[in-house]
Amino acid sequence: MIRKLSALIMVAGLMMTSLVTQATQVQDIKSFTLDNGMEIMVLEDASIPNANMYLFWKVGSRNEVPGITGISHFFEHMMFNGAKKYGPKMFDRTMEAAGGANNAYTTENITVYTDWFPANALETIFDLEADRIASLDINEKMVESERGVVASERTTGLENSNWRTLQEEIKGAAFRAHPYSWSVIGHESDIAAWTLDDLVQYHKTYYAPNNAVVVIAGDVKLAEVKALADKYFAPIPAQAPPKEVKTVEPLQKGERRVYVHKASVSTPNVMLAYHVPSTSHDDYYALDLLSSVLSTGNSSRLYQSLVEKQLAIEVETYLPMTFDPNLFYVMGVANPGITATELEQNLIAEINKVAREGVTEQELEKVKNIKLMNFYRSMETINGKANTVGTYELYFGSFEKLFNAPEAYGKVTPADLQRVAQTYLRRANRTVAVLAAIEETDE
Amino acid sequence: MKTLTHLSKSSNKLIVAIFIAGMSLSGCATQTLPTSVDTGSFSMPAYEQLKLENGLTVYLMPQKEVPLITVSAVVRAGAVNDTTSGVAGMTAQSLLLGADGKSKSEIEQMVDFLGASIYADAGKEGSYIGADFMAKDSDKMLPLIQSLLLSPDFDAAEFDKLRQREIAGLSQSKESPRAVISRYFDKLIYGAHPYGNASSGNSVSLAELNISQLRAFHQSYYQPANTAISVVGDFDVHQMKSTINQLFGRWGNSDEVVTPALKYNQPELTESRVLLVDKSDAIETTFLIGGKGISRDNPDYVGLKVINTILGGRFTSWLNDELRVNAGLTYGARSGFIPYSEGGIFRISTFTKTETTKETIDLALKTYARLWETGVDQKTLDSAKAYVKGQFPPKFETSGKLAGLLSDMYLYGFDDAFINDFQSKVDGLTLTEAQRLVSTYFPQDNLQFVLIGNADKIAPIAAEYGDVTRIGIKAVGFGG
Repeated sequence: MIRKLSALIMVAGLMMTSLVTQATQVQDIKSFTLDNGMEIMVLEDASIPNANMYLFWKVGSRNEVPGITGISHFFEHMMFNGAKKYGPKMFDRTMEAAGGANNAYTTENITVYTDWFPANALETIFDLEADRIASLDINEKMVESERGVVASERTTGLENSNWRTLQEEIKGAAFRAHPYSWSVIGHESDIAAWTLDDLVQYHKTYYAPNNAVVVIAGDVKLAEVKALADKYFAPIPAQAPPKEVKTVEPLQKGERRVYVHKASVSTPNVMLAYHVPSTSHDDYYALDLLSSVLSTGNSSRLYQSLVEKQLAIEVETYLPMTFDPNLFYVMGVANPGITATELEQNLIAEINKVAREGVTEQELEKVKNIKLMNFYRSMETINGKANTVGTYELYFGSFEKLFNAPEAYGKVTPADLQRVAQTYLRRANRTVAVLAAIEETDE
Repeated sequence: MKTLTHLSKSSNKLIVAIFIAGMSLSGCATQTLPTSVDTGSFSMPAYEQLKLENGLTVYLMPQKEVPLITVSAVVRAGAVNDTTSGVAGMTAQSLLLGADGKSKSEIEQMVDFLGASIYADAGKEGSYIGADFMAKDSDKMLPLIQSLLLSPDFDAAEFDKLRQREIAGLSQSKESPRAVISRYFDKLIYGAHPYGNASSGNSVSLAELNISQLRAFHQSYYQPANTAISVVGDFDVHQMKSTINQLFGRWGNSDEVVTPALKYNQPELTESRVLLVDKSDAIETTFLIGGKGISRDNPDYVGLKVINTILGGRFTSWLNDELRVNAGLTYGARSGFIPYSEGGIFRISTFTKTETTKETIDLALKTYARLWETGVDQKTLDSAKAYVKGQFPPKFETSGKLAGLLSDMYLYGFDDAFINDFQSKVDGLTLTEAQRLVSTYFPQDNLQFVLIGNADKIAPIAAEYGDVTRIGIKAVGFGG
């Protein structure tokens, strides 16, 4: 769930103004804020007769506490289960009968609802969204069947994804205080235990218009969107802003380790996680480029040193966008005959090499080109546009930063990559997780 | 996340009542115009199709929204042409191992430096190689694709490494039942017929493969008269025509291409069978239920898309509504036709925790039976029609997707009418017609099952649905 998201978010990257021809520019995005605090961004694009609405809510697993872990994600499901005007099942039935489809996802930081529809169904979508934001009706029976759905979502993630299995464990070890400690899906026992009251309170606190960013892209007109926003969203009252997340993860002072046993794993999987600052920190751009130097494309450092040399069959890195300081992930899957220890040592050796020797100008230029290409790809679809615009608004404080990204990435030097590697990718700042088929024993 | 991908389903309690009304009205339903929701108009973007003298089919479709180009070549040969299991797939993948004296590493350095990407692989009936790149890099990337397609080196040392990675990857993919279950199902339905072949090969067959088999496969099938190249993106058509001519015009044909007679000798499904795949530490059961489907050129392809939307092609579909929303048994349930050129399959897919395996299979079957027992009502049909129309344009929004569409047109022999007539075909679908589609195409008897899970716990359940064959998930074969 979370890793899929990374693919989307990571496409938002660099662009060089000189190369921008037809692609979206800053003046193509119109934004306005309703009196209740809801921020709305509009991008007119008539390339297909469709449009979308992306609603970004500033609530994710970081807003949870023990006992209600996973509730943000569970809530995401409950938003589809009935409100005042459109009762249980009617949200989906109404939207689909108008030719629309939807999905939603929850991360550590945000919850995002995505509606894709023929542009002429725009008013129906406003009506549906306003109903569930203003007057969600949480039905006890729906809560119970949804618990089963979410339990199945959790199980199928663990059954089918080693990344999910390892990430859940490594977060628990890397964070002992901050809510990033638990997985977005939550602890199994919490999924079974939260109450109707917990859910009602959660909706009131977090699903307030002043806690949302809405992006609409597609075959729509600004004036039309404004009129509909005034009609449907403006009457929803603002709420007191949610409590801040105050906990700061204490400095990690030495390597931590986790071992996970799974009998069906064919070769060991190793994950490393290093504490890094939030996305709004100046070092984000250097870390993002470093992640690409390490793992994007077959010419990347880790592919060349591990996959080409037949130590691993797969390597990847992942730097999530994040409100609070989070983790820089590195993962490898061992080639048959290679032990977890050998894989781990080789991953670490390659990371240490960057810290020791730095990267070349050419490598840096390469990853900047990759970022540019990814930017264009994201601007090829109305969904890519809506997601990218919303992402920048949330994680960088303004969608306009999207168009400053070329400068921000352009300023990064090889020395910056070496510096961030030295600063963050250190042993004492690392947690190591191993997933393997052999159960640990004392023998 | 709300759903894994797009799922669907529809209402339940209302269905019976509405169906009764629908039945009594069905006589006149054919005489009144079917209702339709306006979802805007969408047609095939302008493109040029040419055939070079050597028989190479070329599609050129300008798209100017971003300064990118996608080029995609499809060769009419895939796993159905395998003599040794996996040879089509390995031949395609080996195109990227070096060509015209440029090593794999040199090619990768160049491609990555441009921010571009290249891919090559084979499917059931086609072998593909393609690239995405910035328009300004056409003069580097198009000649590269030409070299890789026409003059691969098939370097032995690189091939050995690729093969080793693939074999290891086969074991790894079996760690995820969802990733491999289709391979088991294809084999169960098609047996020794070429449609049962998995393009991934298996660990034993890959170990036996050698470079000369790859060269022979390349020589037999990678010929201009057996290939289409699609270029979609930000380019000038006139200039691109001349570039393509220059790069591919002198590509010669060799022996006549031998095509397997896929239409014939497809096994009859005369009894219900269950392939039980044991994954001893499984915490859930992943399963497919189905049978034979339709070929891609079937005139009812679009109509069946609508009917399947009702059964299992969207969130409010019957299957997702019953299994997920009402019963909370699974995160998602769906169904779909997977068409080939001369055949195809239909399958229902879902998963549930081990303890609720029987309950979930039974409910899936019961829900499926509604197609015949209660049928489709007008309201649900109208909704499904609006849905497939409304969700259609974004499927062809990017250069990559349009290139994929053009490749499919070549491979499966359909044309622009698929796009341009899509809306009117959907709009024209009546309840009577829906009824005909259900009775003609959805497999009702002798259903086939693949269950991947903890066999010790679910074997007695498996036996309730047909003749059981039990295998371990690590056993060689079935695409692994």
